[in-house]
Amino acid sequence: MTNNNIAVRTRNLTKNYGRKRGISGVTLEVKEGEVFGYLGPNGAGKTTTIRLLLNFIHPNMGEATVFGHDIGKESVQVRKSTGYLPGGLELYENLTGQEFLDFTAKLRGSVDRKYVKELCERLKCDLSVRIRTLSHGNKQKIGLVQALMHRPRLIILDEPTIGLDPLMQQEFYHLIAEVKKEGRTAFISTHILPEAERICDRVGIIRNGKLATVEDVNQLKARALREIEIYFDKPVSPDEFDGINGVQNIRVENGILQCSVIGELDGLIKAASRHRVLNIISREPNLEKVFLTYYGESEKSND
Amino acid sequence: MISLFAKTLGDQRRSLVFWSLGLAATAFLMVMFYPTIAESASAIEQYFEAIPPELLALFAGAITDFTSPAGFLNTELFFLIIPLLFMIFAIGRGSGAIAGEEESGTLDILLSYPLPRWQVIIAKFASMAVQTFILAIVLWLSLLIGAALVGMEIGWAELFAACISAALLGLSFGTLALAIGCARGSKGLAIGAASGIAVISYFTNALANAVSSVEPYQKFSLFYYYIAADPLNHGLNAGHAAILLGVSIVLLAAALLFFNKRDLSV
Repeated sequence: MTNNNIAVRTRNLTKNYGRKRGISGVTLEVKEGEVFGYLGPNGAGKTTTIRLLLNFIHPNMGEATVFGHDIGKESVQVRKSTGYLPGGLELYENLTGQEFLDFTAKLRGSVDRKYVKELCERLKCDLSVRIRTLSHGNKQKIGLVQALMHRPRLIILDEPTIGLDPLMQQEFYHLIAEVKKEGRTAFISTHILPEAERICDRVGIIRNGKLATVEDVNQLKARALREIEIYFDKPVSPDEFDGINGVQNIRVENGILQCSVIGELDGLIKAASRHRVLNIISREPNLEKVFLTYYGESEKSND
Repeated sequence: MISLFAKTLGDQRRSLVFWSLGLAATAFLMVMFYPTIAESASAIEQYFEAIPPELLALFAGAITDFTSPAGFLNTELFFLIIPLLFMIFAIGRGSGAIAGEEESGTLDILLSYPLPRWQVIIAKFASMAVQTFILAIVLWLSLLIGAALVGMEIGWAELFAACISAALLGLSFGTLALAIGCARGSKGLAIGAASGIAVISYFTNALANAVSSVEPYQKFSLFYYYIAADPLNHGLNAGHAAILLGVSIVLLAAALLFFNKRDLSV
């Protein structure tokens, strides 16, 4: 096998649905052992890419391999080495969590029961009741367990943290870190930039079905754009903050300073510390705004 | 594949029990009614003579000997009610097999496991077939018991043949629903189209007995192969049974073909 160190490789992968949906010409490589974030707004083509990798749908053009196995011809091999959590997760509602996991373990063949138990305990899964009665977040946890239960070489997770409470999100981040530590690979789609920044090594950004860029997460962080609001006890002058590295769009109203900051916050915080600070609010911008800043074009101008 | 087959059976066991009870009760009660019919044979025959034969043929088949055990069972059960129940059962199972899971969204999880698509279909088909034949055996046993209780003279082998024939008919329409579901991914479409074809098939066969202009089309109807050879009197007709089974196999092959090529819907 020549692709030993490549987990996922797509070349010009294209799927047309109708006029706007689908993906076109996606070429990317995910290295074995990395956590790859697939970042894009809803409807950008993240799920389409994943469904192509799993052979749920067939490409119009292009090709892809997972650990060297063709996604179409050798799909069973691909799925053997993969664990998958779907985006719109639906489980067998008539089964209990335990019954469901027993069933999926049988489909996998050999699964380490102790590890499954450990996963369930860490995620605090309720396995005794019918899945029908579980909240979305609790279903999501069982979905995660079935994706991880056989310690797959590659895990593909489609919007994994939706519905998880913050505590379980932390546990999930730990699980991903462990996957990485064991040299396994994760392909995680998300529309949440901070999540991608937090858990991924590299991030591919997709919009309108096209891969815009693949970047190291540190590059992404260096250009992170935040909306900052600082509340002072007295009115301040905007001139004090003008010219600080990375600070833009400064607006001051009474004692409230609003601005956008690219990269680190150090300059702004030091300037602000000359006054009495009552509160700081930091907002992550939506992805569309990030695109606007990074690529200078809006989604609409592309139509 | 075995575990999926076992899971499908397990999921449907409760519904199978209720189907069995319903079917057994229907058959049993109908047989209980037989002594009354046999006693007033001549009056009933007169009554039937008053009904236009075309009308009779439509819902009760070509009645020749309503008061004989086989004639009674054919008219009251095997011409309409039994095949209807078997078809409803099998179409329900067949349409739910793939299209049902696809619509409820669970097919995504199932197919993310290292299972070729054909194995999923075979497991679902096998579960449907096994359940259909379990129903046939339940029906057979309840008829046997009923017949023994009221002293109805009918051969167990012929009864068995009629029950199996009904199961084969049901299975072919169930496989039709499975194939439509595999091709289009819609449970509603699978139920609707398979049921529609079943109704047309029924009336084509039934009308052909009475209306000469329909007669040339009778052999296109699966009902013809189910009942025309009269298994209650003559046992299973090997050729007709083979045709019903062959239709199921061809439709199963079509299901595999359609499903392998198709994109799953989200």
